[in-house]
Amino acid sequence: MTLLPTGRARIDELRMVGITKRFPGVLANDGVDFDVRAGEIHALLGENGAGKSTLMRQLYGLYKPDAGEIRLNGAARRFNSPSDAIHAGIGMIHQHFMLVPALTVAENVALGLASSRGPLLDLDRVSKRIEELGERYHLKVQPDAQVWQLSVGEQQRVEILKALYRGAALLALDEPTAVLTPQEVGEFFKVLRRMAEDGHALIFISHKLHEVIDISHRVTVMRDGKVVATHPTAGSTRERLAGEMVGRPILLEYDKPPVPAAAANEVPRLEVEDLHVRGDRGRDALRGVSLSIRSGEILGIAGVSGNGQRELAEALTGLRRVTRGRVRVNGRDLTHATPQQRIAAGQSAIPEERMKDGVVRDFSVSENLILQDHGHAPYSRAGFLNTRAITRDCAALVKDYSVKTPALETPTKNLSGGNIQKLILARELARKPTLLICAQPTRGVDIGASEYIHQRLLEQRQRGMATLLISEDLDELMALSDRIAVMYEGRLMAVLDRADATPAKLGLLMAGVAA
Amino acid sequence: MNELFTVPVLLGILYSGVRLATPYLYAALGEMFAQRSGVVNLGVDGIMLMGAFAAFFVVSNTGNLLLGVLAAMLVGLLMGLIMSFVSVNLQAEQGISGIGLYLFGLGLSSLLFKKLSVSTRAIEGFPALPIPVLSDLPEIGDVFFKHNILVYIAFALVPVAAFVLNHTTLGLKVRAAGMKPEAADSLGVSVARVRYLCVTFGSMMAGLAGASLSIGLINLFQENMTSGLGFIAVALVYFGGWTPLGVMIGALLFSMVNALQLWVQVKAIPIPSDLAVMLPYILTIAALVLGRRARQPAALSKPFSRGEN
Amino acid sequence: MKLNRIGAGALLAVGLLLAACGTPTPAPAAPAATAKPAAKQVKVAVVMPSASNDGAFSQSMYDALKAVQASMGGEAAMKIAVSEGMVQVPNAVAAIRDYAQQGYDLVIAHGTQYGNSLTEIAKDFPNTAFAWGTATDTFAAAGVKNVFAYNPRAQEGGYVLGVLAAKMSKSGVIGVCGPVEAGDAKTYVDGFKKGVMDTKKDAKINVTYTGSFSDVSLMAAAAETHTKAGADILTGSSQSVVGAIGVAKDKKAIWFGTQANQTSLAPDTVGASQVYDWTGVIKEMLDLSAKGTKGGKAFELSLQSGGLKIVYNDKVSIPADAKAAADAAIKGIIDGTIKPLP
Ligand SMILES: Nc1ncnc2c1ncn2[C@@H]1O[C@H](COP(=O)(O)OP(=O)(O)O)[C@@H](O)[C@H]1O
Ligand SMILES: [Mg+2]
Repeated sequence: MTLLPTGRARIDELRMVGITKRFPGVLANDGVDFDVRAGEIHALLGENGAGKSTLMRQLYGLYKPDAGEIRLNGAARRFNSPSDAIHAGIGMIHQHFMLVPALTVAENVALGLASSRGPLLDLDRVSKRIEELGERYHLKVQPDAQVWQLSVGEQQRVEILKALYRGAALLALDEPTAVLTPQEVGEFFKVLRRMAEDGHALIFISHKLHEVIDISHRVTVMRDGKVVATHPTAGSTRERLAGEMVGRPILLEYDKPPVPAAAANEVPRLEVEDLHVRGDRGRDALRGVSLSIRSGEILGIAGVSGNGQRELAEALTGLRRVTRGRVRVNGRDLTHATPQQRIAAGQSAIPEERMKDGVVRDFSVSENLILQDHGHAPYSRAGFLNTRAITRDCAALVKDYSVKTPALETPTKNLSGGNIQKLILARELARKPTLLICAQPTRGVDIGASEYIHQRLLEQRQRGMATLLISEDLDELMALSDRIAVMYEGRLMAVLDRADATPAKLGLLMAGVAA
Repeated sequence: MNELFTVPVLLGILYSGVRLATPYLYAALGEMFAQRSGVVNLGVDGIMLMGAFAAFFVVSNTGNLLLGVLAAMLVGLLMGLIMSFVSVNLQAEQGISGIGLYLFGLGLSSLLFKKLSVSTRAIEGFPALPIPVLSDLPEIGDVFFKHNILVYIAFALVPVAAFVLNHTTLGLKVRAAGMKPEAADSLGVSVARVRYLCVTFGSMMAGLAGASLSIGLINLFQENMTSGLGFIAVALVYFGGWTPLGVMIGALLFSMVNALQLWVQVKAIPIPSDLAVMLPYILTIAALVLGRRARQPAALSKPFSRGEN
Repeated sequence: MKLNRIGAGALLAVGLLLAACGTPTPAPAAPAATAKPAAKQVKVAVVMPSASNDGAFSQSMYDALKAVQASMGGEAAMKIAVSEGMVQVPNAVAAIRDYAQQGYDLVIAHGTQYGNSLTEIAKDFPNTAFAWGTATDTFAAAGVKNVFAYNPRAQEGGYVLGVLAAKMSKSGVIGVCGPVEAGDAKTYVDGFKKGVMDTKKDAKINVTYTGSFSDVSLMAAAAETHTKAGADILTGSSQSVVGAIGVAKDKKAIWFGTQANQTSLAPDTVGASQVYDWTGVIKEMLDLSAKGTKGGKAFELSLQSGGLKIVYNDKVSIPADAKAAADAAIKGIIDGTIKPLP
């Protein structure tokens, strides 16, 4: 028997055969076959709702399969609870961290474990072991720090340490990179490779194509609860994987004509000069941001979240007070204008928190579609809503923007993230704005819907709309932007032409390193 | 006013404070464990009444005090199992279930009292147990070391509870279950078992709190004799920031302010009695408003399930 | 599955049911198969705030009803229905209405707090006699004709017991454990204070109120506070004094009771009790009712009428001069030379 450096036996092969799991109204897993071997990183790829987490939760004993079998080194096993799975050497990093914020790292690790001192905790010993493991796998954390004080990346490390501490030989990582910055992802991948080299079996779940290509040896693609493909990663392209995920060919890079040269007397659509605003904690969140966007241009804003992007969007949409500086839209000073005045001036916005700022959760689809326009003709006459006009126009919008909803009266909260985003897009673009402030337009949205949203944005660009595109997704920025600005600690580090913006350059700027 | 702040009065306040704090302490320490595990049990008052009656009934028939205490704890255990079943297995709304349990205890204790006892009469409860040497200390001896054994045990439980909570594997599970049950569950800790244990233990303590009234402090039973004391105990858990020490400070403070207001009246300080009576409650509300809610177990009163089916 | 709703609901329902059971309302008169067909059975119902064995307010009424029943010839002649522990006024009101509906001849609402609702019920059942107390208002002003009121002159016995206390106290400090500063509790305390002061000018009387009729442990703490403040004689009112009597027993103080004979609670501690004897009032109300007068009269329990009695406990020796002073006080109150209230 080959041992891992942690002293535990390897899992040479895990095989899940014909796993089927049904939830009320959903067939989450439909006869899924999946396997992973020691030393291998096997990626599990699929859109939101494809059934990836459900599959892993059955492996970890959280759900019981309706049908199918789990075989460990050839022997059928049945996991009735996480402790069964843990005993069998299986560890899981959940999509949402399973850490108790108010406890220390050591306490989080020791939770549920037998102690060397019987009923008494032995946190000193636990801490020592955490440090040893941290050393070996480059997972440095302070054992006595409280988890809420840690950065997201550090919390991720604690999750891995928890599994390693329990001697996990197989680790299922459910979207572990969703919350990490590009830098942290790099570090994290090093850890994964190290673990694989040591003989751990790793399952890596993601819907980010380049990550899957980067880290995995094999990839299994799931769609609607079924496995649609399993093949070695080497040689597969992003286009191929995207196509398998969505079930139709997908464009990841778009052709777009260059922005026409500026006319002599052209006024920029958006001009921002030396903008300052305060953050929620009273400190300056923006410290002198200046930029300008021309008609038919998309300016991308890159940056690790929390560097002022949110505050910039809020300042430009009238939701946050400007303390210094000037904002002009189509030549008009709108520095202190209300959201309504901005809409009247031809500006639209797609907010970052779509459920909070973009729609009213409990309103129906049509109510959300006319949210800002319900006060005037044709939707309102003498204070009464004109239902006929509303129904007619909303039905057209839902069709034009292919919002999948059972009915116009359906409460918006029942739609999927992608469809809610399309709804917002429909509402904001129907006004034919000259300027769009657009934050994280495809965060948490499937590739299919993302592609659709991107096409719509480019269409408007073609029409002459200027777009400020704030995104944490570098692929998205590179695919859409004409220029890309990098934000760091409330300032713009640099503004690059798309042609000059490589991921490496952007990554450095995002970390605050001037080019 | 000067009359109020004399040594004998202050000692009197301390003495009454310690005595009165005892039932609060049992009930609130128990409730604290339930809440740390994520369950609010509002039935404490009802369990106390049942415990008080059981202890009184057993002692008045057998004369055996230990048996009385055991009976109170057994009754607490049974009612705790009901609360656990309803809140853990049925995932019921805890506030409403707790009120149901309270009414159940209130009604059943009154019914049994009427059916089983002829009349309100005093029994021989736990006698004062002076602690050798310490009880001979001038002034302090009387105040702290001449109580019945249930009083000593209640205070001794404070450090024990703190130790269990902070330094044992069980305590860690309890804390995790109340703050983030899904995290505990994902590490193979049975949240249901932990909550059962804590709610049932808490209810046994509530039963004991009842006994400390009916066979320790007052030595008789009366219909609804707690008159809402159990609800104050629940408030004291919030007041005490979910720590044993905080709970003890709260219980002492509440009882001492209560004792103080009695002295205010005895010393004929010109404050209307209605106002004096409200003093401890005003204090409690103020402390709750100003208190640090941040310490509240994050999953308090939220049923836990894995979301399967 | 709505198991969670059902669970909470079920527990709540059981709780409510038991809370109601704890205060049982006897079923309507069972068919009198065994009872002799009496000329006419009188039916009396009473709704009270605490238990019929509370050793105080409610027990005084319950005992009186039993006594009247015995004197009339038992169950066959008089049927008694009791709803006890009616702390919640709405429940009490519902019970009162129920009894009226069931054709009871006399429905007694034994609690000041029930009065407000009585006017309406009484109007709906003009042939039923109602009574409430402690109170002095028969609602005649509001056009109600079928409500009796009854009120103990608690100050009279209070005064007498105050005289006894003043004579017997060695420390000169006397503690009074009041519940809520209202009703007969307040008049009792005021009479007691006057009795003490008229007898012993330099005596010190400390009065506390707990703000509750039922908080036994706070009442015990009050008694404790009084003994710490030097009191060797204690008194108090309401059902919550049982806690205080226990303290008096522990601290070897003497207790004076009111409302019911409290000797049985602590046979070596209770010196004397003022006992409410409602039998006279009940009999008179039944008589009037039988003759067609269903209300309009306010009764007062007094030493003179015999509705208030001072009952001594043989086990606690009362000095002869104290007893003589008490007797003199009783005489003085009856003949009007002593005013028991300030
Ligand atoms: N506990 C649950 N109860 C009901 N439906 C669920 C539950 N968990 C997942 N589902 C449904 O099962 C499907 C697969 O979900 P999931 O496994 O979370 O997808 P993925 O992890 O691939 O995004 C989705 O339609 C989801 O709504
Ligand atoms: Mg998932």
